[in-house]
Amino acid sequence: MDSLYGYFGKQLRVSLDSKEILKENIDASILRKYLGGVGYAARVLYDEIPKGINPLLPENKLMFITSPLTTNRIPGGGSIMLCFKSPLTNTWGESRCGGDFGPNLKSAGYDALIIEGKSDHPVFLVIDDDHVFIRSAKHLIGKKITEKIKIIRDELKDPKISVSCIGPAGEKLVKIANVMFEGRAAGRGGVGAVMGSKNLIGVAVKGSHQTPIAQPEKLTETIKTCLKILRENDFATNLKKHGTTGDMAANDAAGDWPTKNWHSNSWGKAEQLYYRFFNKHLVKNHGCYTGCPIACGRISEVREGRFKTPVHEGSEYESLSAFTAFVFNENIEAAIQATYLCNEFGIDTISAGAIIAFTMECYENGILKKEEVGGIDLSWGNPDALPELVQMISLREGIGDMLAEGVKIASEKLGRGSGKYAIHGKGLEAPAHDPRSGKVLGITYGTANRGMCHIHPLEGMAYDSGKMDWGLMKYGVPDPNTIDRWDEKGKGKIVKILQDALILPDILNTCKFFIYCGIYIDHLAELLSAVTGWNIDGQELLKIGERVINLQRLFNMREGFRRDDDLLPERMKKKPAFGFYKNEGRCAIKDFEGMLDEYYKARGWDVKTGIPTKEKLLELELEE
Amino acid sequence: MKIKVKLYTILEKYAKGKVLENNTIILQKDTTIQGLSHYLNIPDNIGIVFLVNDSLQDKEYRLHERDGVKIFSFIGGG
Repeated sequence: MDSLYGYFGKQLRVSLDSKEILKENIDASILRKYLGGVGYAARVLYDEIPKGINPLLPENKLMFITSPLTTNRIPGGGSIMLCFKSPLTNTWGESRCGGDFGPNLKSAGYDALIIEGKSDHPVFLVIDDDHVFIRSAKHLIGKKITEKIKIIRDELKDPKISVSCIGPAGEKLVKIANVMFEGRAAGRGGVGAVMGSKNLIGVAVKGSHQTPIAQPEKLTETIKTCLKILRENDFATNLKKHGTTGDMAANDAAGDWPTKNWHSNSWGKAEQLYYRFFNKHLVKNHGCYTGCPIACGRISEVREGRFKTPVHEGSEYESLSAFTAFVFNENIEAAIQATYLCNEFGIDTISAGAIIAFTMECYENGILKKEEVGGIDLSWGNPDALPELVQMISLREGIGDMLAEGVKIASEKLGRGSGKYAIHGKGLEAPAHDPRSGKVLGITYGTANRGMCHIHPLEGMAYDSGKMDWGLMKYGVPDPNTIDRWDEKGKGKIVKILQDALILPDILNTCKFFIYCGIYIDHLAELLSAVTGWNIDGQELLKIGERVINLQRLFNMREGFRRDDDLLPERMKKKPAFGFYKNEGRCAIKDFEGMLDEYYKARGWDVKTGIPTKEKLLELELEE
Repeated sequence: MKIKVKLYTILEKYAKGKVLENNTIILQKDTTIQGLSHYLNIPDNIGIVFLVNDSLQDKEYRLHERDGVKIFSFIGGG
């Protein structure tokens, strides 16, 4: 066999029922076709997860996956992907987290970790190079994230070992539970509930191996080129200073700030909210992984008052938007605290904010009464409601037990006409970007494989309103400056290429913001070629991206999803009820079905059903 | 005419040397937003949105004495 570079060619398979730990070889030909990250995981989980299983039963599998670029040396290389069948949506599930965990798993000598079955008691897994073992985690139950991480590190006598764990919410199978990697989250899709359903409370990892590199000198040169690009890039400089949070005011002005449970796409309050955060509560910026040259993370604190928090990592754009605009709250301190609590209890901030917004609207319309919600005043914008509801959802207390199922199931259980207030796609609550700012996002929201997601694979509005081309004009994407953000025709074809490209950071486990900062797919191809010795160019990467999107789609089709599920909620298509764009008829989405028809044709999918055709699958070497 | 201009985040650098203290700028009468943008050397190929007195305006809008202009580049949030 030829030498394999960029990989160890090994994965750990841990069966929690038998406590068996296997070190398996990986077929190199699969790695060549799928590379790593969500690509390799899509192949494995499509083959190994039976159709129709309940994601919270032992038959589900949870993968932690790396790629050849998972190393702190490579710009954007510090991350891990988690893949699973989602208990929130019953679709393909994936969730990314930046940090040192991914590089440490890789340097322990494993390209992937597969968790199967269910332990008969709570456990945590430790991976220390070849030494892999399982420990009881009964003493961790009920504890919040920071405390859990400290206990694990103290027990292992290693203050630096990378630790991921679920919070109390994951233990209680809350369907929006996340997995926390120290201060950062693999947030979406209920991955924390999957881990909790397996009685796996945490994973700790460290390693000492170096990934074999095919062309070390070429890699060094390519890294230097990338770092130079980043040093000279305004977006990178801006991300360091303002983080993603700095986009709040711009997105509000752009009509890209869903407000009051999607009644509007703007509010006019973001500027004051952001600058209060920036001037009073931002402690410093922070790199999620050691050596990140952008370091967009936020370290925040609310020093005093009823929304006091310790110094902590959090307060990103999505999180603060979820706890301000979504719920019509003008108290930034309450939003910061709510984010902090989500991280400590272990729930997704986006879904939590969306669920609270749904609840507030039900309350406003008399569908929920005060006595049904624990006596909390759920008037729009009440900041005191936020910490209460975050706890109730996380611990399944009172109404929180129903809300912990996500807005789709909560509205089905509640009935009383609440369905129209549940804003989601395939069960995943909508994030803090609005397709009424740029309609490419409408198609990506409707078709993303993990549900209504803005970033997996693509922040569509960044193309037609932000005018970012991500270096893709050479691959057929029109110059975004020739495109009107509110046009609907022609967008479907563009989305196909954008998705094929922007899934590549998820396949290669690189931070997507690096593409925003000028590290395009051609650079990723050069990095990958230098590491693996494979001669890969941007065109081949796009083909792999297309292959993976289609395989994930097949996963969903097998679960019964069809064209009808590729939808936008009605409210999301309407002219905003207030804000900067209330008189702008062009921002309403008039023909989503027409956009979808065009997109399906561009994809080579059956227009009636949305299923990839046999010809397309053959072309992509995805024969059933 | 004297107007107030504020540039946000990624656009902050275009204020240097052009926008005076107290965020003021002196322009010729009847300057449009497009004219202001060119004066500040803001590139045409990035997504920009303009608020004048907290209302959305397009590039053809003619500015008036004491108008307050906010200029944002919209990209994404993550």
